[in-house]
Amino acid sequence: MPANRKSRVPVYWWRRLSQILFLALFLFLFRMTDYQGSDEIPYAVNIFFRWDPLIAASAMLAARTFIALLVPAIVVVLLTLVLGRFFCGWVCPLGTLLDASAKVIKPRKTGPAGKFRAGKYYLLALILVCALFGLPLVGYFDPFSILVRGLTLSVDPALNASVSQPFDYIYQSETLDFMAPVSEPVYGFIKDRLLPYEQKFFALALPSLFILLAVFGLEKIERRSWCRNLCPLGAMLALFSRFAPLRQHPGGSCASRDCNTCRDICRMGAINEEGVISPGDCNLCLDCVAECHKQIISFKFRKTKRKPAAAGVSRRGFAWTLVAGLALPAFYKGRALHKRPHPELIRPPGALPEEEFLDRCVRCGECMKVCINNAIQPAFLESGSEGTFSPVVVPRIGYCEYNCTLCGQVCPTGAIQELALSEKKEVKIGRAHFDKNRCLPWARGIPCVVCEEMCPVPDKAIRTREVKVLNQKDEEVTVQQPYIVFELCIGCGRCENACPLPGEAAVRVISGGESRDPENQGYVLY
Amino acid sequence: MDRRNFIKGVSAGSAASLVALKQKGRAAAKKPLVSVAKGDDYQKLVAEVLKPLGGTEAFVKKGHKVALKPNLSFDRTPEQGANVHPEVLKAMVKLCLDAGASEVLVFDRVLAEKRRCYEQSGANKAIGSIGDSRVKLVHPQDRDFVKKQIDKGIFFRTWEFYKPALEADVYINLPVAKHHGSAKLSLGLKNILGVIGGNRGKVHMRLDQGIADLNTVLTPDLTVIDATRILLRNGPSGGNLEDVEKKDTLIASTDTVAADAYTAKHLFGMETSELGYLADAHKLGLGEKDLNKIKIVKA
Repeated sequence: MPANRKSRVPVYWWRRLSQILFLALFLFLFRMTDYQGSDEIPYAVNIFFRWDPLIAASAMLAARTFIALLVPAIVVVLLTLVLGRFFCGWVCPLGTLLDASAKVIKPRKTGPAGKFRAGKYYLLALILVCALFGLPLVGYFDPFSILVRGLTLSVDPALNASVSQPFDYIYQSETLDFMAPVSEPVYGFIKDRLLPYEQKFFALALPSLFILLAVFGLEKIERRSWCRNLCPLGAMLALFSRFAPLRQHPGGSCASRDCNTCRDICRMGAINEEGVISPGDCNLCLDCVAECHKQIISFKFRKTKRKPAAAGVSRRGFAWTLVAGLALPAFYKGRALHKRPHPELIRPPGALPEEEFLDRCVRCGECMKVCINNAIQPAFLESGSEGTFSPVVVPRIGYCEYNCTLCGQVCPTGAIQELALSEKKEVKIGRAHFDKNRCLPWARGIPCVVCEEMCPVPDKAIRTREVKVLNQKDEEVTVQQPYIVFELCIGCGRCENACPLPGEAAVRVISGGESRDPENQGYVLY
Repeated sequence: MDRRNFIKGVSAGSAASLVALKQKGRAAAKKPLVSVAKGDDYQKLVAEVLKPLGGTEAFVKKGHKVALKPNLSFDRTPEQGANVHPEVLKAMVKLCLDAGASEVLVFDRVLAEKRRCYEQSGANKAIGSIGDSRVKLVHPQDRDFVKKQIDKGIFFRTWEFYKPALEADVYINLPVAKHHGSAKLSLGLKNILGVIGGNRGKVHMRLDQGIADLNTVLTPDLTVIDATRILLRNGPSGGNLEDVEKKDTLIASTDTVAADAYTAKHLFGMETSELGYLADAHKLGLGEKDLNKIKIVKA
């Protein structure tokens, strides 16, 4: 990437163009992570996760297996070995958004990196060691996980609600509806192109927003503060970039005392007092190339024997990180939830057995984004604090659609396996049970059986018996009382979702009976 | 007089629609007509079954806005018999357009994921292939529902209804004939549940009366029951091809109760007394349930 000084367009415009294109691609794929009228999603909407080497390393270490889905990560590693940390400056959509936000947030400081820049290496080490010993943490720190989760759970539903509200108001108003002939086409245009298909509702919407905002809040301290100091993906790419032959041209260093331009404008704080650019920190934004008054900064491919160390990492600190990475997982093992799974921990169809599932799940929120019925919600503590933001089916919010396999299609790590439709229909994610103390035909002799009507299993996993009972007025009435056929119930939650009772449903799905865990069956089918 | 009938009376101003209104009032006095047609060319069959009733032109006048409510409730294919057959839907829409409708609004508030229902049922393709901008296949949104008094209601006094259907000049009911766990059969009257909003599960606590009550607010100008395939068991969602019987039959009437009574008896072999909502609907003056008092015409 030698600087082309004759060009009238500043060289960093190429970088900006790349950032804009990748951000557009990212947002496009985000929007496409939805039902598109066919059973299969036509694009690799999860590609940003699948080319993420941090996710690849962590998921494979935790699952102790090779995950073919994550092979695209090799491309990023190879490119980084040649080009350095270009990914952070030219590709990463979170980085792009941080750059854009700097105009609004106005960081207190640009220029040389502070003393915390070793933090990301410690974090990376902690994540990888913990992963190896069975505590998956990557989902809480991976930049795409933070971004996609925040957008899915919080920003997108908020965007839809806030944009739709005024249009709905005009549409339904008795006094303003004269504006509807104008407002409705505008709304239709916006709805088709910018908004999600439907309003969705999510648990942990605010926590996921706060985590995302915190990353932007750090920008106040210094530019790209997250990228400089915390991002474990950035740390990993920084380690690879030590070998990259694309370097600052040696003639580039100037010992000018009166000019600090390059150091002052560097968003990554990568340029030191001597004007030497650290390859582990530089994200090749090329601002310095364009802004240098002497026009002496350029990047060239060259052989180098000097491999700069990861800045600021001490042996002592590193050793303590390893100890923490070894010890922390051990403390997680001794909790009650490992003895008996939470009854409301209903994982999406195709989810691996719990331990393996948590090892692979990177809390990216893709399955929650794509779930056609808003059924998949982020867990809070159902699978422990390390399972927060992992996907659970909450039937009272949404049920698992019988003919749909989208969650398995978008999962970037195979934590939710992609199932053929015929396989999916056989997978039991849990099992429904009646609460006969609340179910109307059972408890009060009132007809209902909406659950039976809705059951999507062709042979009906909910059936009814016609019985004569006394109702609340002591009259003898004939009602249909529903019951579950355990062998047929797949736990989709259609019944629980449709139960007309207010509050808790009288038919509820629990995880017992799930196909993925033979220990969680409870009784033998006969 | 509700808004729909008011608009109908005034805006159309045509004698024909006024006559149609009056005929509805006299339904009890005159023998209602149920037209039945059999054949496997569904495109032609719809026109045939409507002929004895005066053809589509008897209902749809030039410039009319038509609300057409097919049953597209489930994420099932046409062969599975849980939804209206797309060919029947397409033919019905085309007839409305040919009769000069200014708009044909096709909708259903469905029970599985809505996009999947319209796709899997073949409705998307069927409507798309017509290629006429006057047809709109839409998903009812929450904001489209308005609370409505049910003045004649015995049990249900108010409910939310799909506003565009209330406001249309003509409301055409296009159900599929199928088994239903609690209602026993889902036919013309039962199709009203796809036009209402709110927690419709609550209707099931007095389903028969509820079906009748709701039908008093939005009484179809025309009901065409799709019995090209009927679902005999495991309805209303179905899914097994063994539960489906191909009957290649359409039943049409301005009297939904009569059409339902005929279908129950002659396609499912049930006694009309088994369907509680027929009696409840009859009591509310919605139509004739006694097959002896119905004139049946094979088209």
